[in-house]
Amino acid sequence: MAPQAQPAARETDPLMRIANLSREYVQRRPLTRTAFKVSALEDVNLTIRRGATLAIVGESGAGKSTLAKCLALLEKPTAGEIWFDGKNLLGLRKRELFLAHRQIQLIFQDPTSALNPRLTAEEIIAEPLAIQKTGTKDSRRERSLELMEQVGLSGRSADKHPLEFSGGQRQRLAIARALALEPKLLILDEALSSLDLLNQRMILTLLADLRAEHSLTYVHISHDLRLVSEFADEVAVMSRRRIVEQRPAAELFARPEHPDTKALLAAMPSLESICLRRLA
Amino acid sequence: MNSRRKLWGALILLAAFHGLILFAGFFAPYGFAVQDREMPFAPPTRVHLTDTRGKFHPRPFVYGLKDDPADPGSYVTDASQIYPLRFFVEGAPYKIAGLFESHVHLIGVAGNGRLFVMGTDGYGRDQFSRFLYGGQISLLAGLLAAALSVSLGILVGALAGFYGGWIDELLMRGSEIFLALPWLYLLFAVRAALPLHIAEWQVFLLLVAVMGLIGWARPARLIRGVVLGAKERKFVIAARGFGASDAHLLFKHVLPQTYGVVLTQMALLIPQYVLAEVTLSFLGLGVGEPMASWGTLLASLQQYYVLSSYWWMFLPALLLIPLFLAYYATADALQERLKSVSL
Amino acid sequence: MRYVGRRLVHAILLLLAVSFFSFALLQLAPGDFFDAMRLNPQISQHTVESIRSEYGLDRALPIRYARWLRSMSKGDLGYSLASNSAVAPLLRVRARNTLLLSGTATLLAWLLALPVGVWSAAKRGGWIDRIGNVATSAILTVPDLLLFLALLLLAVRTGWFPAGGMVSPGIDEMNFWARAKDIGFHLVLPAFGLAMVMLPVLVRHVRSAMIETLESPFIRAARGHGIPQARLLFRYAVPAASNPLISLLGFSVATMLSTSMLAEIVLSWPGLGPLLVESIFSRDVYVVVAVVMLSSVFLVMGNLLADLLLFASDPRIRTENE
Repeated sequence: MAPQAQPAARETDPLMRIANLSREYVQRRPLTRTAFKVSALEDVNLTIRRGATLAIVGESGAGKSTLAKCLALLEKPTAGEIWFDGKNLLGLRKRELFLAHRQIQLIFQDPTSALNPRLTAEEIIAEPLAIQKTGTKDSRRERSLELMEQVGLSGRSADKHPLEFSGGQRQRLAIARALALEPKLLILDEALSSLDLLNQRMILTLLADLRAEHSLTYVHISHDLRLVSEFADEVAVMSRRRIVEQRPAAELFARPEHPDTKALLAAMPSLESICLRRLA
Repeated sequence: MNSRRKLWGALILLAAFHGLILFAGFFAPYGFAVQDREMPFAPPTRVHLTDTRGKFHPRPFVYGLKDDPADPGSYVTDASQIYPLRFFVEGAPYKIAGLFESHVHLIGVAGNGRLFVMGTDGYGRDQFSRFLYGGQISLLAGLLAAALSVSLGILVGALAGFYGGWIDELLMRGSEIFLALPWLYLLFAVRAALPLHIAEWQVFLLLVAVMGLIGWARPARLIRGVVLGAKERKFVIAARGFGASDAHLLFKHVLPQTYGVVLTQMALLIPQYVLAEVTLSFLGLGVGEPMASWGTLLASLQQYYVLSSYWWMFLPALLLIPLFLAYYATADALQERLKSVSL
Repeated sequence: MRYVGRRLVHAILLLLAVSFFSFALLQLAPGDFFDAMRLNPQISQHTVESIRSEYGLDRALPIRYARWLRSMSKGDLGYSLASNSAVAPLLRVRARNTLLLSGTATLLAWLLALPVGVWSAAKRGGWIDRIGNVATSAILTVPDLLLFLALLLLAVRTGWFPAGGMVSPGIDEMNFWARAKDIGFHLVLPAFGLAMVMLPVLVRHVRSAMIETLESPFIRAARGHGIPQARLLFRYAVPAASNPLISLLGFSVATMLSTSMLAEIVLSWPGLGPLLVESIFSRDVYVVVAVVMLSSVFLVMGNLLADLLLFASDPRIRTENE
C-alpha cells in the first residue's frame, strides 16, 4: 500500500476489490468418467467499501455461497483477482495466507452446524486464537469471556455446550468467534435466515453496535430483500453467476436498471411502500 | 432397560472378568503347569460347611479324595479327611501383568487337601487355575489384535476419507483385497508358514500381528465413512477459515467424531479375535503346551472318551459365553447411544 | 453388458491380487516341506536339494509364482508332497464334500431365516419377533466351537446320530439309496450346527431389510389403498426388499467355504477344513495355497454373483450403469 496516500483518497479506497472472478468445478460423469466443467461464478466484479454494509442478493443457484467462500479464502477461484487492502490475495504463499485469514471471517447460515457440539462456548471462541497461536491459554480464555460479553452472552455460560444455547444465542457465539482474530471484514452467508424475526432484529442491532466499535465492514449474503432494505448501504445483485448491478441501496430499490434486478424486485410485494419509506 | 444402564452393566461385567484374569496369580489356587499325577480327571471339588455328622464348621472345607476301587479312574470322597480352606495364603510366587511379583493367593487348602474348582485334566492340572492363566493369553491376544486392526483402520480410514482423490482410491482398492481374503483360512495358512518350532512368545506375537493386519479393512471403511461426513461439517470449514492446518482439523474436529464407531468396532472385534486364537490353539496351531490358552484347555475334548465322561472339561467353553455376552452387549449399547446422541 | 464385463474383469484382477498375496506370504516362510528330511542323517543334503529343485522350490519367488499361475491356468494346481498326488483331484473331492455340507446348511439356514425374519418384521414386537431376537442373540454369544462340541457330545452320548465322519464303513457295498441315506445321516449334525451358526446374521438382516421396505412410502401408500396384509407382504414388500436380500445371498455364497471349516474339523467331516489343517502340519505348501485360493474364489464369486443378480433384477441399477 502506498504510504503517502492522501487521507481523502484513503477513505474512498475500497477495502476489497474483486475483478473477473471465476470459479469452475470439474465433475465426472459417474460411469464414463468423462470430465465436464460446471461453472459457479463467471466474471464477477465487486467493490467493497470500508465501513459499509454491502448486501449481495439474488435467487438460489446464482452463486452467492460460492462467492462467499471465495471471499473468505475457503476456496480458490479458477480465474480473476481478489485485492484486499491493496494486496492481491491470490498470489499469497502459505504463510501469508495463514495470516490473511485473520482479516476476513465468515459466519454461516446455520449456527448449530457451525459450532462443534463437543466443545464448550469458551473453547469455541478461543479456537481461532489457538490456531493462530495468539497468547497463552489463560489469555485466550480471558479474551473469550470478553468477546462473550460483547455479543451479549453471559460469561457464566462459558462452559456450556452449543446445544445448551438457543438459536439466536448460537449465532451470537459464532459472531464472537469470528471477532476473535479482530478481522476487518465479516461475511455473513444468510446468517439471519435461520432465525425468527425477534432474533433477526437483535442480531442486526448487535452487528450495528459492533461495527462502530471494531471498525468492521460487512458483506451480507441474503435472499430476503425486505430485510436487506433495512440495513444495507449498498446492494449488489447476483444473477446467473454474475454480478449484474451494484449500487447504493436506496437507488437500487427505487430505480433498478438491470432486467434481472427488476425481476427480483417485482417478486417482492409491497416494495413500493419500502421504497417510499427509504426515499423519504 | 435404557441404554445407559445396559452399557454400565456390560462394562462392569467386563471389568470383573478382566480383573479376574489380570490377577490370575492371586485368584488361582495352583500354577498352570502344576501336575498332580495322582488325580487325573478329577471332578470339581465340592466345598462344604457342614460335615457328615451334621457339625457346622465356620470355615468352609473340602473332603479328601481317593480312588474308587469299584470304578477305576473314578474318585470317591473320603469323609474321614477334612481339609479346611484358608484365605490369603502364602504360596508360589507369580507376576501381575508380568511386572509385579507377589506371593499371596486368595484361597489355599490346608495339608494334603485339594481344591479343584473346575476339576482336573488328564495330567492332574487344576482347570480353574489354567482357565485364569489361559485367559491371559487368549484375552490379551484378542485385545492386542483388535487394537492393531482398529488403529490401522483409523489410519487408513482417516487418510482416505480426509484427502480423497487417488489416496482414497488406492486405499479402498487395497481394502477390497483384504476383504476378499478368507481371513480364518489365511490365519491358518500364515501359521502354516511359520516354522512349527519357534518360541512361544514369538508365536503369540505373530498371531496377534497377522490377525491385526488382516482385519483392518472393515473398520477402515466405517471410519472413512464417518470422516467423509465429518469433514464437510460447517465447524470444520469454519476452522479452516481460521487458517487451521490439516492436522488440527483431523485431530481436534474430525477424529473425535469417530470415537463411537471405533469403540463399537473394538467391542465387536475382540470376541472374534479371542475366538480365533482359541480355535487355533484348540487345533494345536496356536500357543502350545504347557502354556495354557483357552484353546489348549479344550483340545482334549477332541477325544471321545474325554468328551463323554468328563463334563467339567466343557466348562472353559461355557464360561466364554458370559464374556462374549458382555462384549456384544457393550457393542449394542454403544450403537444405541450413538444413534440417540445428536450429531 | 459392459457392466457385466467390468465386474468380471474386476473380480479376476482381485483374485490375481489375492493369489499373489497368499502365495508370497507362504513362500516367504522360513523352512519348507523338506525340513524333516534334512534332519535325517541318512539322506544326503545333495539328495534333498535335488528333489527340491525337481519340485521347483529353489527358484526365486516371482518365477515360482509365474510357474504356478501358468500351471493353474491349465488346471494343474501343483503337487501335494504329503499325499503324493496332484493337488487338483484331491481338492475336487474335498471341495465336493464341503459344498455338500455347507450347501445343505445354507439352504436350511435360509429356509428358517426367511419366514422368521419376514414374520418378525411384519409383526414387530410380537412373540415370534421377541423369541427370535432372544434366540439369535443367544446363538450369537455361543462360540461355534462350543456348539459343535456339544453336538458331538450329543452324538456320542445318545447314539442317535453318527459321531462324525461322512460315511460308515462298508459304504462301497451299499447301493445308491443306502449310500445316500448313510451320508444323509452323517450330514444331519454338522449341517444343523452350521445352519445354527449362520442363522442369527441371516435372520437379523432379513428382518431389517423387511422393516426398511415395510416403512417405505410406497408400501404405506399400498396399505392405505386397503390391500390386505398377506398380499402386501408377499407380492409387494418381499420383492421390493430383494436388493438387500440378494446381497445377503451373495454373502452366504461368499462365505460358504470358510464358515464350515470348524464344523468339519470337530465333526470329522472330510472337507477342505481338515485338509487345510493336515497340510499345515505337514508344510504341504501347494495344498495350503490352493485351499486359500479356492476360498477366495468363492468369496469373490459370491459378491460378483450378488452384483450381477442385482443388475439383472433392479432396473435402477441397469439404467444407472448403461
